[in-house]
Amino acid sequence: MSRVRVTAPRSAALPPRDSREAAQDSEVGQVFVRSLIRSQLRLALVVAAGFLLILGAFPLLLGVVPGLRETRIAGIPFDWLLLGAGIYPLTGLSAWLYIRTAARNEARYRDLAKDQ
Amino acid sequence: MRRGTGTWRRTSDGAMNPGVAIAALAVVSVATAVIGFYGLRISRTTGDFYVASRTVRPWWNASAIGGEYLSAASFLGVAGLILLSGTDALWFPVGYTAGYLMLLLFVAAPLRRSGAYTIPDFTEARLDSRAVRKVTSLVVVLVGWLYIVPQLHGAALTIRITTGLPSWVGSVAVVIVVCLTVVAGGMRSITFVQAFQYWLKLTALAVPILFIVFVLAGNGTPALSPPAVNPTNLAPAGVYQNVSLLVALLFGTLGLPHVLVRFYTNPDGHSARRTTLIVLGLLSVFYLFPTAYGLVGRMFAPGLARANQADAMVLLLPAELVGGAAGDLLSAFVVAGAFAAFLSTTSGLVVSLAGVISQDVLGAGVGGFRLAAVISIVVPLAFASMTDSLALAGSVGLVFAFTASTVCPVLLLGIWWRGLTDAGAIAGMLTGGVLCGGAMIAGAVAGAANLAPWLAQPAAWTVPAAFAVMVVVSRATVRRVPKTMSRVMTRLHTPERPLATER
Repeated sequence: MSRVRVTAPRSAALPPRDSREAAQDSEVGQVFVRSLIRSQLRLALVVAAGFLLILGAFPLLLGVVPGLRETRIAGIPFDWLLLGAGIYPLTGLSAWLYIRTAARNEARYRDLAKDQ
Repeated sequence: MRRGTGTWRRTSDGAMNPGVAIAALAVVSVATAVIGFYGLRISRTTGDFYVASRTVRPWWNASAIGGEYLSAASFLGVAGLILLSGTDALWFPVGYTAGYLMLLLFVAAPLRRSGAYTIPDFTEARLDSRAVRKVTSLVVVLVGWLYIVPQLHGAALTIRITTGLPSWVGSVAVVIVVCLTVVAGGMRSITFVQAFQYWLKLTALAVPILFIVFVLAGNGTPALSPPAVNPTNLAPAGVYQNVSLLVALLFGTLGLPHVLVRFYTNPDGHSARRTTLIVLGLLSVFYLFPTAYGLVGRMFAPGLARANQADAMVLLLPAELVGGAAGDLLSAFVVAGAFAAFLSTTSGLVVSLAGVISQDVLGAGVGGFRLAAVISIVVPLAFASMTDSLALAGSVGLVFAFTASTVCPVLLLGIWWRGLTDAGAIAGMLTGGVLCGGAMIAGAVAGAANLAPWLAQPAAWTVPAAFAVMVVVSRATVRRVPKTMSRVMTRLHTPERPLATER
């Protein structure tokens, strides 16, 4: 069994530069990068806002629709079912949509960078 | 201090057999140690020691993240809080899960692509400043210590309730097992241990509650009280408190040091995202069970909410509702799962803290790492033995508020905003830390009962304050934007080579 000595902070975490950065030193390359970052940020904000809106709508729904709290499905009160189980599929769906679109944004960026 | 008073033990036939609990505890500790040592034999290089060489598959990695994340608060605290406050407390599991969605949206892939090992590494590389590194390290160590304390409280509570031994035995047992595994194995072995512990925790919660529900349904036992009825006289939480709690949980997850370090074990940014998706699935399945415990407890054993037993509800429910040998067996299962929760979260935190402490304070070497590991667990042990356990889910919620006010702004702005400067980052982290820390201290001094809501749940104002200070100070010090910024941003956001990502 060999032990390895870790002798310094990992400040060398960012190695000098790799090929994907070298390709982006040009003005045009930076424009592509900026547009990629913007579209990824917009996507993240849209998914987060949508998720939070629906999340906020759940208790609102329970408060507004009369009798919904007392409704029971298989013996379990509806408000417990909605908050205790109903939110999880929503999280999964948001995550899945985000991953798909984020990968698509990256593919588009890669095509642009390759053409350059 | 409420310790050692007889009120903890059930007076009915619900008392648990202490031998069973001790056996369960021993089995989990030995299994953890064995898997740790097995991992040690295949962990060879520096990369192995720190981040498992980035070769861990998404399913393993996701299980490990789940194992590390599901702490005493999730295993015991959530169900206890649901028993106490009903649907209000359902925001806890929702927030714990949705925090991972935020992590996925804003942090997962860029952080992986940064190539840094720890949060201080990331901030130093992004802002090109040693001073930022120091402040981040300080904050990360504080967060870790604050987070370990409730784990040790949970262990103390479990031991006291299930065996009748003095509570310090529980904390010390966790400290010893964690020290052994962490000092010996590093990250690789921890990955296996954590993955194993997710599945252990899930089974240990799921099997007893399913059994209980079948028994109750089979006997046609009538519910003692409807779930909407509050078993204690506690006032329900207001809208402000629920919103503030959600802010803390959603944005606190982003900054947990032991969670972030796991993202470096993914081979690339895309797989970091896929791992997070699997984690979301695993957490969603897990949290159904504490919710079920809370609901069953409310309907069939509301008595557990009195006499300060809420946090122990998961441990007591099988004996209370099933009883006999079957009840003992199910209790043993739950105790095993609870200890898996304390051990996995604590060891994850200790690994990440030891990394930070050994690099920034002690410097150099595996010896330094070991000493740092011991320091990072002995300090919270001392703190835990001096304080008494509050509601577990509540105290972990406060830690999330602290991370959300310190680490989260620097990560989010660092990843998405070109204008962040080192001065802005430091000012923002200090502001958030002082405000949120102050609220926590005020809360500890004043006592939970007579605390204003804005002090009890500070995240709703401390998080925006930290963001605001960070932005304003960065704006005022525009000339300090590092020259490397453009290159680092490119690295954070551009995909790795096509071959690595298209799988």
